[in-house]
Amino acid sequence: MSRNLDINVKHLTRVEGHGNIVVNMKEGTLEKAELQIVEAPRYFEAMLKGRSFHEAAIITSRICGICSLGHQLCSLKATEQALGLEVSEQTKLLRTLLTHGATLQSNVLHAYFLAAPDLLDVGSVFPLVESHPDVVVRALRMKRLANDIGDVVSGRAVHPITPVPGGFTRIPTEKELLELKRRLVEEMVPDFLATVETMQALAGKIPDFTRDTEYISLRADDCYALYDGDICSSDTGRVADSEYRAMTNEFIVPHSTSKHCKVNRSSYMVGALARWNNNHDKLNDVALDAAEKLGLKPNCINPYMNTIAQVVEAGYCALDSVAIIDKLLSDGLKNELPNQEPTRFGTGIGSVEVPRGILYHEYTYDRQARITAANCIIPTGQNLGNIDDDMKKLVPEIVEKSKEEITLTLEMLVRAYDPCISCSVHMLDVDFIE
Amino acid sequence: MRIFAVGNSFYGDDGVGAAVLDRIREADIFPGACLFDAHTDALALLDRFTPGETNIIVDAADMGLEPGAVAAFRPAEVDMKIRSDHLSMHGFGLGETFAMAARLGSMPEDVLIVGVQPAQMEINTGLSEPVAAAIPQVLSLIEAEATE
Repeated sequence: MSRNLDINVKHLTRVEGHGNIVVNMKEGTLEKAELQIVEAPRYFEAMLKGRSFHEAAIITSRICGICSLGHQLCSLKATEQALGLEVSEQTKLLRTLLTHGATLQSNVLHAYFLAAPDLLDVGSVFPLVESHPDVVVRALRMKRLANDIGDVVSGRAVHPITPVPGGFTRIPTEKELLELKRRLVEEMVPDFLATVETMQALAGKIPDFTRDTEYISLRADDCYALYDGDICSSDTGRVADSEYRAMTNEFIVPHSTSKHCKVNRSSYMVGALARWNNNHDKLNDVALDAAEKLGLKPNCINPYMNTIAQVVEAGYCALDSVAIIDKLLSDGLKNELPNQEPTRFGTGIGSVEVPRGILYHEYTYDRQARITAANCIIPTGQNLGNIDDDMKKLVPEIVEKSKEEITLTLEMLVRAYDPCISCSVHMLDVDFIE
Repeated sequence: MRIFAVGNSFYGDDGVGAAVLDRIREADIFPGACLFDAHTDALALLDRFTPGETNIIVDAADMGLEPGAVAAFRPAEVDMKIRSDHLSMHGFGLGETFAMAARLGSMPEDVLIVGVQPAQMEINTGLSEPVAAAIPQVLSLIEAEATE
């Protein structure tokens, strides 16, 4: 079909030039299909340079309220590696528990508040509040309990404060953990199973689009890697996280102020679908059962299924949180102090899986334990090239649809990645009613 | 009384709510008040609104006024813009949170928003002079609400 198409969706007008979907087709030839979106936290290095090792994680956790915990844990890992601070097994378990809470919360909200409205064709979550209030209330109940994991383990959900370099300043009590476990078992698990049913009813509406790409995530031997692991490519296998620059290869593209990344192909995907593809063998039965019900199969190359992979992960996180609490309690909680005596001063790299994909922080410290250089690569930046490549394959396949349908299909694609608008402000926009 | 801040303190005047909470903490101005900085996760307020208590939210607000201007208003008194075309969960702000709370019937009766008109929302700049100078006025509006 010889068609002219000009799509320009501006979503985030407060951040000029960002968050736009731009598609341009002339006489059937695709000239442009791009997502223009935010860059990694700008001035990241300037924010951290000269700061002490106590401050780095506090500062980076405030870059973004949504990704707060991921930045904090990644920052702590980078600092600990740079300064040679060993952390205990208990610290690792507690941090994994925190990661589960954050992943659970983000994945559930994304599925219910961003993806479900698309699949129900209602435009946004607000009509759902009236048509399916029980479902929205369930989503908020799950978000709250996921938040409470953060509250119990870290003192506060949005800006965790007790995790510090070398460990925790406060260890949760046995009573707190038992209550959390009770709620996970009695409230979260039934809510998760109901979520699978809800999503099962919608999964058939997920666009049938496939494009083979490279999937990059962490991978560990003993668990579904979220807090720790090697970097794993679906194309070339595992490397240590010290290789992160080679596994991101940031480069500049003309259409975006954000850098793009590529490794073995023109782009790669990070996030829940990448984790599923690389690590599905490490999931628990509840998650695998959900995957089967929702039609998520190994080596899935439909990016829209990222949402389904997020739902599957939510089940893993809920049940694994219970397992972690059991392990913490059977090992016996130790009131250990954080290990904050540096044994070296150098460069350290932190990598964690945050809901949107693999996140890297790298710091170099001087002998006063102050930062001299810092680098951060966020998952959304890594996904940008993959989204562009998806759009370039997708647009010609759906070109016979109406412009509105094409636009919606592209928006749904972008939403499936749940991009991080890390630089956004949240000013309230009001008009006084006269 | 519950006092909430919303906004990103890395983005200039968007951090006014957090700065107000800091001031309250430092000077222990409202002892016993529950203080919570939701940062950019406004939806977190849904869990923290408390019926039967005064819920005050401090936020940078584009009200079409002079930079540093302060206004206190009830949610019903304003038309809060909500976006329904979100590309990301990062776009859910206070307007969306109120819309959801209202429709779910979980909006407490007593909510007061203290809005401060920002001068600049650039990264890593701290509060602008007019907005920093507006903090005492924000505090007296909270005080007035508390003693009402």
